[in-house]
Amino acid sequence: MTLMFRVRRFPTAEARLRFNALSKLYRKFFAENTSETRGLRLLRDWLSPDQRKQFDKLGYFDVVGCNSRRHYRIYHNVRPPNVYEIDSTGCRKMGLCFAPLGQLVKGDIMLAQKIALETDERTALAAANRVPINRCPY
Amino acid sequence: MATQIVMDHTGDTRHCFNPDDPQALARAEERFKQLTGLGFTAAVRTAPGEVAKVQSFDPTAEETLFFPRLVGG
Repeated sequence: MTLMFRVRRFPTAEARLRFNALSKLYRKFFAENTSETRGLRLLRDWLSPDQRKQFDKLGYFDVVGCNSRRHYRIYHNVRPPNVYEIDSTGCRKMGLCFAPLGQLVKGDIMLAQKIALETDERTALAAANRVPINRCPY
Repeated sequence: MATQIVMDHTGDTRHCFNPDDPQALARAEERFKQLTGLGFTAAVRTAPGEVAKVQSFDPTAEETLFFPRLVGG
């Protein structure tokens, strides 16, 4: 007699956390008119369709540096650094710590980082502090 | 109507103006010079998701976005 075991795959704790965070973010986004939600609306308005789709699904989006053509990933829901240079497989290579001066909301910071890397990568990299990555968590 | 969007702690502040009104246009140009003089970067959308940095006031831009200068974290 052959026993068949059905293996049910549960989402990882990290995936559940990400899903919950995104759900919370979107409830807030549609329900409120806070500075945070205005910042997120502005960000979404200025993202390309592909970036918006990626951000809505995953909570981050990728940009291409205008000078080097390197790829960077900008995250919403992590502690600094929230910008990483990524390799061709999507693995993080280097963390980059830079942001616009002053007290800005997350969406604004992410939009400024996107525009800086896409239009003036050298200046953005000159301002950034680099954080080495020892492993690829994603 | 054209809009100048300035990032700040409230999310953003929007200054709308009629580009056909010479006085409103002059005020918008003055605001542009003031903000860029303070180190703000000005950017306009050239296509959906495509952005260009601008160094001088563009009276034809529908939206101009300003963000403060970048610093290392």
